[in-house]
Amino acid sequence: MLIFRKPIEGIERPEMPADVVIVGGGPAGMACALRLSQLIDEHNAIHPDSPLSKENIYVLEKAREVGQHCLSGALLDPRAMRELLPGFETEAPIEAEVSKEAVHYLTQTGQFKLPITPPPLQDHGNYVISINRFVKWMGEKVEAAGITVFTGFAGSELLYDGDRVIGVRTDDKGIDKQNQKKSNFEPGYDLKAKVVVLAEGSRGSLTKQLVSKFDLARDSNPQTYGVGVKELWELPPGRVAAGEVIYTMGYPLTTKEYGGAWIYGGKDNVISLGFVTGLDYSDPRLDPQRVLQEFKKHPFIAKMLEGGKMIRYGAKSLPYGGWWALPALAGDGFMITGDSAGFLNSARLKGIHLAMKSGMIAAQTAFEALVKGDSSEKTLGLYPKRVGQSWIKEELWKVRNFHQGFEKGFYAGLAHTMLQQVTFGRGLYARYPSHAGYERMQHLDALPANGGAEANLLGDAKGDGKLTFDKLTDLYHSGTKHEEDQPAHLVIHDTNICNTRCVKEFGNPCTHFCPANVYEMVEDTSSGQGASSEVPVKRISLNAANCVHCKTCDIMDPYQIIDWVPPEGGGGPNYDGM
Amino acid sequence: MKILVCMKQVPQKDAPLKLNESGTWIREDVSYEVNEPDAFALEEALRQKEKHGGEVVVITSGPARAQQVLREALAKGADRAIHLEDDAFVGLDALNTARALAAAIKDEQFDLIFTGLQSDDYGFAQTGVILAELLGWPHATIIMHLEKSDSGIRVKRELEAGFFQFVNMPLPAVLTIQSGINKLRYATLIGIKQAKNKPMRKVALADVQTALTTNLQKIEKLYVPQKTKKTETLDGPPAEIAKKLVDKLRNELRVL
Amino acid sequence: MPSILVIVEQQQGKPNRVSWETIAAGQAIAADMGWSVEAAVAGNAIAGVAGEVAAKKLAKVYAVDSPSLDRYNPDAFAAALKQLIVAKQPMLVLMPHTYQVRDFAPKLATQLGRCVISDCTGYKKGGEKLVFTRQMFQGKFSADVSFGSDGPWLATFQNGSFRGDKAEDGAATAPIETFPVTIDAAAVRNQPEEWFKEAKQAVDLTQAEIIVSVGRGIKEQKNIELAQQLATALGGEIAASRPICDNGWLPMDRQIGSSGQTVSPKLYLALGISGAIQHIVGMKGARAIVAINKDSEAPIFEIADIAVVGNLFDIVPPLIEEIKTAKS
Repeated sequence: MLIFRKPIEGIERPEMPADVVIVGGGPAGMACALRLSQLIDEHNAIHPDSPLSKENIYVLEKAREVGQHCLSGALLDPRAMRELLPGFETEAPIEAEVSKEAVHYLTQTGQFKLPITPPPLQDHGNYVISINRFVKWMGEKVEAAGITVFTGFAGSELLYDGDRVIGVRTDDKGIDKQNQKKSNFEPGYDLKAKVVVLAEGSRGSLTKQLVSKFDLARDSNPQTYGVGVKELWELPPGRVAAGEVIYTMGYPLTTKEYGGAWIYGGKDNVISLGFVTGLDYSDPRLDPQRVLQEFKKHPFIAKMLEGGKMIRYGAKSLPYGGWWALPALAGDGFMITGDSAGFLNSARLKGIHLAMKSGMIAAQTAFEALVKGDSSEKTLGLYPKRVGQSWIKEELWKVRNFHQGFEKGFYAGLAHTMLQQVTFGRGLYARYPSHAGYERMQHLDALPANGGAEANLLGDAKGDGKLTFDKLTDLYHSGTKHEEDQPAHLVIHDTNICNTRCVKEFGNPCTHFCPANVYEMVEDTSSGQGASSEVPVKRISLNAANCVHCKTCDIMDPYQIIDWVPPEGGGGPNYDGM
Repeated sequence: MKILVCMKQVPQKDAPLKLNESGTWIREDVSYEVNEPDAFALEEALRQKEKHGGEVVVITSGPARAQQVLREALAKGADRAIHLEDDAFVGLDALNTARALAAAIKDEQFDLIFTGLQSDDYGFAQTGVILAELLGWPHATIIMHLEKSDSGIRVKRELEAGFFQFVNMPLPAVLTIQSGINKLRYATLIGIKQAKNKPMRKVALADVQTALTTNLQKIEKLYVPQKTKKTETLDGPPAEIAKKLVDKLRNELRVL
Repeated sequence: MPSILVIVEQQQGKPNRVSWETIAAGQAIAADMGWSVEAAVAGNAIAGVAGEVAAKKLAKVYAVDSPSLDRYNPDAFAAALKQLIVAKQPMLVLMPHTYQVRDFAPKLATQLGRCVISDCTGYKKGGEKLVFTRQMFQGKFSADVSFGSDGPWLATFQNGSFRGDKAEDGAATAPIETFPVTIDAAAVRNQPEEWFKEAKQAVDLTQAEIIVSVGRGIKEQKNIELAQQLATALGGEIAASRPICDNGWLPMDRQIGSSGQTVSPKLYLALGISGAIQHIVGMKGARAIVAINKDSEAPIFEIADIAVVGNLFDIVPPLIEEIKTAKS
């Protein structure tokens, strides 16, 4: 019997008042905290007799340590950091400055380098970073600035007073698999906050609840996503230079799928290698982890990786929807920042600097709310206004129709992009619509049984153990760990759909798209039906402890019946160096 | 009851570890966590305080990063912390570590000192016992249970093969605590906040230098264990395989 | 000539089996270094034990016999052995890494102004230098450790690092010397009570010498019974890979792997286990690994000492019968 996590009802919860609670300790959350601290320091210098305190400003981070759940390529456009901490390059952990960039198109067996790197992918002046290390460093600065970062605490629910967000409830700790309190049970705290800043990253769980409750996306395009599956590799010296940036398109995807790979050279001969697959593919058997393995088999890549060693694995979704997919960004008591809102430039494949800038603008607004004593939409609404006047808008406006142009395939996308290049981002229409990716998943009976052209993208990767890996081996290198005795945090609202409808219509795509082998269909021995039918009856089973918190299931489930909620704080992957 | 809990910060249990250039230690750029048995020792100390009142003090010796272990302990309810802070403490053997600890607490009057039964990195299981000897105190190891008695304390030792033994001891005493003795509590938000204001005394290497000598043992080399595995395949019908296997179990592997 | 002193552990007049391993270790090092090897037994009325030990090839056996050593306690044992060591000045003192030795050896060493290298798995002779090998970081690395002082050196060996049956018998009985010790009763502070056994709730697989482990290949919960029969026949414990425990077919404390227990038994018999790395890391330290799996490409075969590619349901029943026959 699957028991899903849900906050314990009917208990007394300890309360803690807060001025600002930032949910999420990633680049957006940390930039927000740092900026807020700077503004308070400046204010206190000018008003020594009416100082503002940082005592009641908190960052909630669900990972055990800051940065542990952060995963990205990554290439950092230093623009936001230079505003936040001028001269940051002298002390921040940076792998390398981008020294060389190339875009390759891979065919089945060959490849050619694009003679010119398309402008959005020109990276000179940017830095190769490990987002995990960078955020860790930011976290140290936040703590040094006097703002408390609570690690191992997840935001599990938002607290409301009518239409107003009044705080965050943290996760209940010490609940067993049957949702019963264990002897070391600790109820989640109710943090009653004047301002709640959501910085949960892509497909944030509180953000999802909030957007749904207040219909914040009624005027927005449906958000669209990709999933990045990444491996960190140690290579023989000299193979890939530090600061070398390579993008690939084409193989192993067909023109129907959206996606491509990145390879970034870091320090000490460690490279970041990953494949992003758009979460809008049509064959439900597609497995993004398999796609990465197939990609590595290409001679151009296999040669690069020869003699190397895979040292870490992880996956994370990313929001592609761009400007039109942003929900309403603020309301009474709340602001939404970073990937939770969807500030990612899908053409440049960069979002960290935009996340940081959004966090900084939110900090500005939160500061004003504290000074004015008003955190209603009247004041917090200044945040989206400011975003609209900032370089975030300037940058995202240019690519506002970029990703949507690819909905009809690679060549259509190229055509639209070229048109957009000469019309300041407009293209064919002022606003291209988008469609949620899961809607494009086709029923199995409409697809060739053997997968057709996509055959090598479907199903489990077998792995040779050296160049390619099966999912479990890869997963082991994500370091993911959770308290075992807790309810499943992948809340499936109707498992009957999994067992009776989905199995026939889509073949349970969750068993394929999850990069962590969380979802499995197992023989249902309990019902006794197996004995009488020819084909054993199967039911959905969860290995929740494998979860790497990528949110792919929440995004791509064709029936939209999965709600990812945070498991007990402290659990999750360990993206050291990612 | 005034209880001291000696805690150690060790590399995270399943963190991939790499050897340093000279092959004498690991590279320090890994994630760290509290040594698991020490977490149980702390929990036991906190429970004793809840039962009998008193104070729980935590101590560690290690680089700046080891402070994290103390902070977490304070967040869980320890009253104050002592940090013997220096990179050099990492390389001290058990005897010198015990000497450093003893020197750091020479002006305190503890009733009980707890350590975990061993550390997850060295696995020596010695520091607690040596500390007892240096202090001239009685000790008991691998403790599963502790209760106050008229003459001091009564502790339950874990023995091999499923046996246990109660031992009566006077105070003050040193106990090394077994993992799994209790269920660890979670630090609360309030506890974490309050921990920031709890006293943390720093002790420099220089302050305890006179108590130390050169290490009496030295790690000459650290290396990945080489195992050359030769797999033997057994063939044939099941009955034959069964016979061959039993033969191997008996004569080669000697488990029958 | 430098001598090695092996401290034999005894319980109620019987030598602890693991002490034969330590004697084997002492004999091996003595042979390598050209040293002599002696043994000592501490306890009360242990003439019988001393006699048993003296059957081994040893230069001498010391009987440290005293009523104060009747029931183990660290004060008395450390005091007694210190007197012996100070008197006899061995170069190297060897002990098995038992719970009892862990309780007093560091104390003894400190009293002697020396140190113990504990939980060693072997030794190496490099020229004239003797180093002791031990595992660190939970078996991820091995370390060669040397002593930085003169003797006496103290070292303890892990169970199973030497083979007790390799302890050589002597051509004649070794001479037994009774060594009197004076133990100040006031200095003995611990008052131990009787040993007892408990109905243990959680099983400690790390103590099991033989483990029969099941994976998905066991197919259904009711088939675990078969594996349990095999475990019982072998005198071992049953364990499982994660999916089995996740399904609730066996309790969580039977789980072996990165999220369960790490074991290093004498024998690990894997039934229907594929060998995913999450499981392997929990058992690769086993001294002998036997794997039975239908899939010839199962990764478990890479670390198995004995591989059986076949259907476990065909193989296990006759295997159980053969074991029962062999044991009777």
